[in-house]
Amino acid sequence: MSTSHSRLADKFLENDKYAQWHDNTFWGVRQKRDRMADEVPEWEQLRQMASDIKRHTITHLDRYLEQFEANAVKNGAIVHWAKDADEFNSIIYGILREHDVKKLVKSKSMLTEECEMNPYLEAHGVEVVETDLGERIIQLNDQKPSHIVMPAIHLDHHEVGQLFENKLGSEKDNHDPTYLTYQARLSLRHEFLTADAGLTGANFGVAATGDIVVCTNEGNADMATSVPPLHIAVMGLEKVIPDYDSLAVFHRLLARSATGQPTTVYTSHFRTNRPTARKMHIVLLDNGRTEWIANPQHWETLKCIRCGSCMNTCPVYRLSGGYSYSYFIPGPLGINLGMLRDPQAHSGNVSACTLCLSCQNTCPVKVNLGDQVYQWRQQLDEFGTANKQKKFICKGMDAVFTRPKVYNMATDNAHLANHIPSFIMECGLNPWAKGHKMMKFPKKPFHKLFKDLEKDEDGK
Amino acid sequence: MKIGLFIPCYVDAVFPEVGVATYRLLRHLGYDVRYPEGQTCCGQPMANAGFEGESVALGERFEDKFAGFDYVVAPSVSCTAFIKLNYPRLLKGKHECSAAKKTIDVVEFLHDIAKVDRPLGRFPYKVSLHNSCHGVRELHLSSPSELNTVKFNKIKDLLALVEGIEVVEPDRPDECCGFGGMFSVEETGVSTKMGQQKLMRHMATGAHYITGPDCSCLMHMAGIAARQGCPIEFRHVVEILAAGL
Amino acid sequence: MDSKEYILGRFRRNVGKKYDMPDLGSIAGITYPDPLVQFINITQTNGSNLFELKPGDDINKLIMECYPDAKTIASSLPEIRIANRNPETVASARDLDGTDVGVVRAELGVAENGCMWVPQQCKEKVVDFISENLVILLPRDSIVNNMHEAYRKIKFNSYNFGTFIAGASKTADIAQVLVVGAQAARSCTIFLV
Repeated sequence: MSTSHSRLADKFLENDKYAQWHDNTFWGVRQKRDRMADEVPEWEQLRQMASDIKRHTITHLDRYLEQFEANAVKNGAIVHWAKDADEFNSIIYGILREHDVKKLVKSKSMLTEECEMNPYLEAHGVEVVETDLGERIIQLNDQKPSHIVMPAIHLDHHEVGQLFENKLGSEKDNHDPTYLTYQARLSLRHEFLTADAGLTGANFGVAATGDIVVCTNEGNADMATSVPPLHIAVMGLEKVIPDYDSLAVFHRLLARSATGQPTTVYTSHFRTNRPTARKMHIVLLDNGRTEWIANPQHWETLKCIRCGSCMNTCPVYRLSGGYSYSYFIPGPLGINLGMLRDPQAHSGNVSACTLCLSCQNTCPVKVNLGDQVYQWRQQLDEFGTANKQKKFICKGMDAVFTRPKVYNMATDNAHLANHIPSFIMECGLNPWAKGHKMMKFPKKPFHKLFKDLEKDEDGK
Repeated sequence: MKIGLFIPCYVDAVFPEVGVATYRLLRHLGYDVRYPEGQTCCGQPMANAGFEGESVALGERFEDKFAGFDYVVAPSVSCTAFIKLNYPRLLKGKHECSAAKKTIDVVEFLHDIAKVDRPLGRFPYKVSLHNSCHGVRELHLSSPSELNTVKFNKIKDLLALVEGIEVVEPDRPDECCGFGGMFSVEETGVSTKMGQQKLMRHMATGAHYITGPDCSCLMHMAGIAARQGCPIEFRHVVEILAAGL
Repeated sequence: MDSKEYILGRFRRNVGKKYDMPDLGSIAGITYPDPLVQFINITQTNGSNLFELKPGDDINKLIMECYPDAKTIASSLPEIRIANRNPETVASARDLDGTDVGVVRAELGVAENGCMWVPQQCKEKVVDFISENLVILLPRDSIVNNMHEAYRKIKFNSYNFGTFIAGASKTADIAQVLVVGAQAARSCTIFLV
C-alpha cells in the first residue's frame, strides 16, 4: 500500500548516513528557530497577529491590491496583472524583449519556479542566471530546489565542489565551503556586472506605500537590482500586506522562523527604479489563488509567508527529503499547495504526514497545515485517488467495529489464532513486519478481564 | 460523579492490562467507575486514513453508550483527541454531541479533575517519558517545544507521585515516534526509521522503561525494540501510577 | 476583460467570510533597559565589528586602521576624505566594482536584531552591496528597541529606496556551513557616531 511519496522516501532512506545528516541538519535549524522564538516574549502574540492580519488582508485582497497598485504607480513603477503562469511568462518576456535583454540575473523566487519561467525564457533566447548561491548550484546541476529556503541542501560540499570544478573551473579537490562560496562570488560578480536586467521575488508588498520588500542574506537581490539597468519584481497576490505596522510583525517572524536568525542581513524596500535605471516593473500573479480563496477548508494556506519552518520541523520531510514529494514545494506546505494546484497529480504526497501537528505550531502565521492534510485525506475518495485496498480495509474495520458481537468474537479469539485477527492485520499492521516484531495478543481482552475485576471487587 | 471507562479497541485487544490499571487506579481514588459493554473503536483509524464517514456510526454508538456519565475516561490520548476534536463536526445534525465535552484522557483527569496529590504506586526504575503528539499538541498534557509558553508537563507531575521513580526525557522530547496509524502502513520506511531513531533517543537516557500516555506509540516502538533486541520495556503511564496499589 | 478585472472579479465572487484587521497597537514589543547595549551585543553575534567614536577621533584614520590594505574607498559622504571613488558621480554602477571599502550612513539602528536603516543616499546605491567591506556610520542616539518602533520611524528620501542591513553578506547554502561574504560585503564595520 505504498504511495508516490513513500516509494521515493524509501530510496532516500537507502543512504542512511545521508538521511541522518539531513534529519540532523534540519533539526538543527528547528532548534535555532526555537531559541529565537524563546527570546521574544511576545512571540505567540506576534503569531496570532500575523495570522489575523493575513486573514484580514487575504479576505480583502481586492482593496489592498488596488491600493498597492495605485501607490506603486504613483512611485513610478509599472504594474502588470497575470491570471496564470502562461500570461506571467509572456509578460516577463515581453518586458525583456522591449528592453532587448540578453541576460537576466535573478534572486530566489518560488513564484518563477511555480510558473517554470526559466525554461520559458531560455527557450526564447534569454540567458537566466540564478544568483542565490543555493539556486545557482542547482541551476548548474540542472535540478529543482529540494527546500524553499535551502534549495541545494540535498548536495554535500564534495558534490558542489565537483560541480564547480566542471562548471566554474574551481581548483581540483578543493571542496572547502568557504572556498567554493568565494568561487561562486567571483563568477556571479561577473554575471551581475554584465546582466541587462535583474528580477526579484517579493517577500511582501506594502499596500499603503507601494513598497516591494525583499529579504536576503546574501545581498544577491540587491546586487541584481543595483547594477543592471532594469528591475522586474514578481509577487503572488497573497503577498500584499496593509502597511508598515503589519510589516513589522512579519519581519520579526520571518527570519526567526526560517533560519533561526533575528533578521535576514538585508531587508530592501523598493519603491521605484534607481535614477540611472529604467522604470521598475511589478508583475502580480494569480495562478489559482483567487480560486483557492473559495475553498473553505484550505484557503488559509494563502497566509503562508514561505519561511520553510514547517519543512524543518516535519519529521517526515527530514527523513524523506524534498525530492520525495511530487510538487515543487515539499513538506507540509507543499502537500497542501500541491493538492490545491492539482489533486489528481499530487495525491501521492498526502500520506507523508503522521499528523503530529508540529508544523502548525512552528508556522509563524498559524496555517493549520496538519489539520488540512487530514482534510485532504477525506477528499481522496472523491478525487478518485484513494487507495482501494485502504478503502476496503476501512470499510471492513467499520463493519467490525459497529457490530460488537463480531468485534468481541474477533478479539476474544485473537490469542487462539496464533496470528493477528484479520481486522487488525488488514488495517495494516502487516507491513510492519519489515521493521517490527509482532505484538503478542493476551489470553483475554479487557472486556473479558473486566468481568473478573468486578467479581474480585464484589468478593471483597 | 459517574465515570464511564472507555477502553479503545487496540487497548482492549492488545493491552488489556492498561485498562485494568486505569480501572484500579480510579477505584483506588474512590471513583464510581462503570464500563459499558459493547464498546469498540472511536473511529480514528479510518478517519486518519481518509474515511471519517466510517466513524459517524461509531460516534453515534459512543454517544449512546456513554449517555448519563459525567466523565468518559480513556487511557489513550489519540482516541480521546479524536473524539474531542472531531465528533462535534462528524455528528452535527445527526446526534447531540456530549461526548466531546465529557471525554477526557486519564492523565488529564487525574491531574486536573481528581487533582491527585497523594503518593501513588511504587516503581523504583529509571523511566524515559514519551510525550505523544496528540497528548502534547491536541490535549495539551505538556507545553509543546515549538511554542514560547510556560513550560509544564502533567504526565511528569503525576509520575512525581510515584515512589522510587526517576523520570527522564529523551533528546527531542516531543518529536513524533512515526506511528501515525495508517501512516505506518503507507509509509513503512519513514515510519520505521522515525521509530528507530526515537527508540535510540529513549535508550540513550539509560532508562529501564519507556512510558507514555498512548499505547499506539508504545506499541510501535516496542515492535521495533523487539525486532532489534533492545533491552527496554514499555509501560503506559497508568500502569506505573498504579504499580503496587 | 483585462486580467486585472478578471482577477479582482474572480476574487470578489469567491471570497467567503471576511475578517477584521486586528488592533496592532496591543502588541507589547520587546524593550531593553539600554537598547544601545543590546544593539552592541547583537552586532557581535552577527559578526560585525563595532567601534564607538570618541570626541576628537578622526573617522578617516579609524577606517584606515581597520582596513590598512584598502586602496579603493568609495563614499559620497563629505567627511570621508579618504574616499577616492564617489558613487554620486561615477558614470555607471559597474564602476564601483573593485571597491575595497564603501562608507555609508545609517539613520537608525534596531536593538532586537542589529538592523540598520540605510536609505539610498547617492546616485548608485550599489556601494552598499558591491564593496568588499562595508563601513556604516550610525548615530548612537538612533537605536530603537524593535521593528515596530523602527517601521514607525524610518524615512524615505526622493530616491525611494532603503534597506535594513544587519552585518556582512552571508550564506549557508553549501552543506549548511556558514560562510561570511556571499554576493555582497564580506565584512561590516559599524562606527557609532
